[in-house]
Amino acid sequence: MSLVHLQGSWTPWLGRLTLSVILYHNGIVDGAFVFAAVTGIVILGVITYYRKWGYLIREWITSLDHKKIGVMYILIGLVMMFRGFIDALMIRTQQMMADGPDSPGHLQALHGYLPPYHFDQIYSSHGTIMILFAVTPILVGLMNLIVPLQIGARDMAFPYLNAVSLWLTAAGAGLVMASLFIGDFSHAGWIGLIPLTELPYSPGVGVDYWMWAIQIGSVGTTLGTVNLIATIVKMRAPGMTWFRMPIFTWTALSTNIIGLTAFPVLGVALALLGCDRYLGTHFYTAGLGGNLMLFTDLFWIWGHPEVYFLVLPAFGIISEIIPTFSERPLFGYITMVAATFAIAGISWSVWLHHFFTMGAGPDVNGFFSVATMLVGIPTGVKVFNWAFTLYRGRLRFDTPMLWAVGAVFLLLVGGLTGMMLAIPPINYTIHNSVFVVAHFHCMVLVVAFSIFGAIAYWFPKVFGFRLDEHNGKRVFACFSLGTFLVFAAMFALGFMGMTRRLDYLADPHWKPLLIVEEIGVFFYCVACYYFFRMLHVSIRDRAKNRVGADAWGTGRSPEWIARSPVPFYNFAATPHFNALDEAAWRRGQGLSDVAPRDYEPIATPKNTIAPPLIGALAFGFGFGMVWRIWWMAGLSLIAIIGVVILRSFATETEHVISAEQIRSMETTGSSVGIVTDHISPPVAEAEAFL
Amino acid sequence: MPAHSTDPLLHPEVRQASILAYGAGFVASTVFMAIALVITLGRVLPYLGLLAAISALAMLALLAQVVLLFRLDLSETQLWKTVSLALVIPLFVLSIGLTGWMFHTLYPRTMLHFMAVQGSGSMM
Repeated sequence: MSLVHLQGSWTPWLGRLTLSVILYHNGIVDGAFVFAAVTGIVILGVITYYRKWGYLIREWITSLDHKKIGVMYILIGLVMMFRGFIDALMIRTQQMMADGPDSPGHLQALHGYLPPYHFDQIYSSHGTIMILFAVTPILVGLMNLIVPLQIGARDMAFPYLNAVSLWLTAAGAGLVMASLFIGDFSHAGWIGLIPLTELPYSPGVGVDYWMWAIQIGSVGTTLGTVNLIATIVKMRAPGMTWFRMPIFTWTALSTNIIGLTAFPVLGVALALLGCDRYLGTHFYTAGLGGNLMLFTDLFWIWGHPEVYFLVLPAFGIISEIIPTFSERPLFGYITMVAATFAIAGISWSVWLHHFFTMGAGPDVNGFFSVATMLVGIPTGVKVFNWAFTLYRGRLRFDTPMLWAVGAVFLLLVGGLTGMMLAIPPINYTIHNSVFVVAHFHCMVLVVAFSIFGAIAYWFPKVFGFRLDEHNGKRVFACFSLGTFLVFAAMFALGFMGMTRRLDYLADPHWKPLLIVEEIGVFFYCVACYYFFRMLHVSIRDRAKNRVGADAWGTGRSPEWIARSPVPFYNFAATPHFNALDEAAWRRGQGLSDVAPRDYEPIATPKNTIAPPLIGALAFGFGFGMVWRIWWMAGLSLIAIIGVVILRSFATETEHVISAEQIRSMETTGSSVGIVTDHISPPVAEAEAFL
Repeated sequence: MPAHSTDPLLHPEVRQASILAYGAGFVASTVFMAIALVITLGRVLPYLGLLAAISALAMLALLAQVVLLFRLDLSETQLWKTVSLALVIPLFVLSIGLTGWMFHTLYPRTMLHFMAVQGSGSMM
C-alpha cells in the first residue's frame, strides 16, 4: 500500500471498494444495470424453470469437447460484440447530438448526453471489447470448431488446456462487464494512451480493470495458440500431408504462430505498467529514468501482429466459402499458402506505422513505410486468387457467399486507404483523424463480414440445420448498408479535419455527415434485429432445414465428410485423406456415402470442473487486484495453483466408447450432435475424489 | 483411435527431470537477475556499461533457464521445443533491433535532456 500514493480510502477487507462506487446517479448506467439485471434474471429463470442446470453443467460448462468449447467461445464473442455495438451506438449518437456550440446538453452533459469522462470510457471499452473480447474469441472459437475436423482429429492436442483457455477468456470478459457496474472502465483508449494510464493521471480503477482484463484474457489466448499449433502439427490424420491441408487450417497455423510470438509482448508491456501502478516503478514515466514511448512501442509490437492475428483467419474463411459457392477449386492454392505466411512474416516489421508522428527519423519511417506497403503484395495475390476462383465459376449467392464477397470489397477499401496511410507525409496530415478510424474499421469489418459468413457457412455442420436464408440475407443487406453509410461519411469527415475521440465537435458543418453516420448505425440496429430473428426462425423451422454431411452440396474441404451435426467423436473411424479438397475428391469418386466396415474403440477426454473453476478464480484474482483487495487476489492465486495440482491427481482422464456403441450410433443414425443430452463423458474429478 | 493409458512417469520429458538441475537453474537465474537489479539500483556503471552488463546478465539468466530448467537440447524429445526457441531469435533480433534504431533516431528529436543524461553517464 505504501509503495504508491492512492487517492481515496483503502481498507484491508475491501481494499478500495466502497458502496459509493456501486450506487449510481447516472441515468445511462442505471438503465444499463436494469437491462443487464432483467436479462440475467430472465435467463437464469428460464434455465431454472426448464431444469437445465444439470444439462448446462454436464454437457457444456465441464466439457472438453473442442466443438462445445468453440461454440462457447463464439457465444462469449457474440455477447461481447453486442455490448461493443451498444458502445458504438452511444459514441455516434453523442457526436451527432454534441455538434456545434448551440447543441443542447442532457443528463449532466454540457453538450449531447454523455459527459466527457463517461464518453472516454465508452470509446475505450468499445475498442477493447471489439478487438480482444469479441472478434478474437469468435475467431478462436471458429478455429476450435473447424481445424480438428479439417485435419481429421478427434479433438485438440490438449483438450484440458483448451477449456482453461476458454474460461480465462471468459474471466477477462467478465472483468470488463463488471467494470460497467462496479467502478469505472479505463478512459485512456483501448491502446492505453501513455502517460494517461499512469497512476497520477488515472487514479481510479478504470485502467486497472482494462489492464487485468486484457492480461488474464490474453493468457488464455496465448495458451490457445500453443494448442492449435500443436494440434495442426501433430494431430493430422493419415494422408493429411502439409499440402493437402485446407487453406483455413493454414491460416489458423500462421495466425497462431503470430499469436504465440506476439501476445507475450503485450503481457510484458502490461506487467511493466502494472509495476508502475502498483509498485511505484518508473518504466513509463516521463522522468526518473522512465520512457513513456516504450509503452507505445511495446504495445504496437503486439498490436500490429494482432491485426494479422484477426485478418488471416478471415482470409482463410473467405478462401473456404468462395470455392464452395463458385463450384471450383481455389485458384492458386500454393501461392495462397505462401501469401499467408508472407503476411505473417511481414507483420513483425510494420508496427511503427502506428506512430509515424512520434518523431523517429526519416530513415526509420521510410523503412516501416516500405515494409507496410509490402503487405499489399501478398494481400493482392490473395485478392486476385479469389477473383480467378470466381471467374467462370458457377456462382451461387447464398448468405455465406454474400458475406465473403462483401468482405473482399471492404478489403479493397480498407487496403487501399491503408496504402495511403503507409506514406508518412500523408500519415502526418491525417494522423488521429477519423479517416484513420474509418480505414481500420473497414479492415476489422473484413473480419466481421467473414465471421458472419463463417457462422452461416459452418452452422449446419455443427448443429445439423441451416440458418434461415431469407433473414440471413436481410442481415447482410442492412449490415452492408450500415457499413457504407457510417464509413463513407467517416472518410469524408476525416478529410474535413474531424479528429478522433471527440465528445464535443466544434464545427457545425460536420452535422449532415454525422447524421448520415447515425442513419448507418440505425441500419446496424435493424441488422441486429434480423440476426436475432434469423436465429429464432432457424431454430423454429429446423426440421425442414436439416442437412446431410455436405450441407451446401458443393463443399470441398474435409469437414464436409463428417456427419452433420458432427457427433461428439467427430469421425466414426479415423479418416484417411487422399487429396487436397477431400470432400470434392470423394464426391468425384462416388465415395461420399461410404461407411467404415470396422469400428474401433474411441477415447474421448472426460469432463472436468477444473477449467471453469480456474476461470472463476482468475476473475477473483483480477477483481482483487483491481480493487487492491490483497487477500482476495492472494487466495485466488493460491487456489488456482491448488486446483491445477489437484487436477494432476485425476489420472483416469479418458472415457472409452466401445466399438459396438459407435456402430450402434452410426447405423441407427441416432442424434449424437452438439445439443444432445446424456452423451458427455463423466467428470474426471467426480470419479477421482468422490 | 484406440484407448491408451500410459504411466505419466514414463514420459520422456518427465524422465529428464532432475531436482539438482532445477535447483541450480532457479538459483542461477535468481542470482543473475539479482546482480542486474543491484547494479541498476547502485548506479555504479556508466550508461553504456550498464546496458552491456544487464544485457549480458539477461543472456546468462536465459541460458540457465533454457539449459537447467527447460532442459532443452537436440534430443528427439526436445527437438521441437529447441527449434521453436531458435525460430523466435530472428523475431527477437527484429523487434529489439528495430526498436533500438527507432529510439536512436527519436531521442535527438524529442528527448534532448535524456541524451544529455546518457552523455554524463548518470541515470539521474
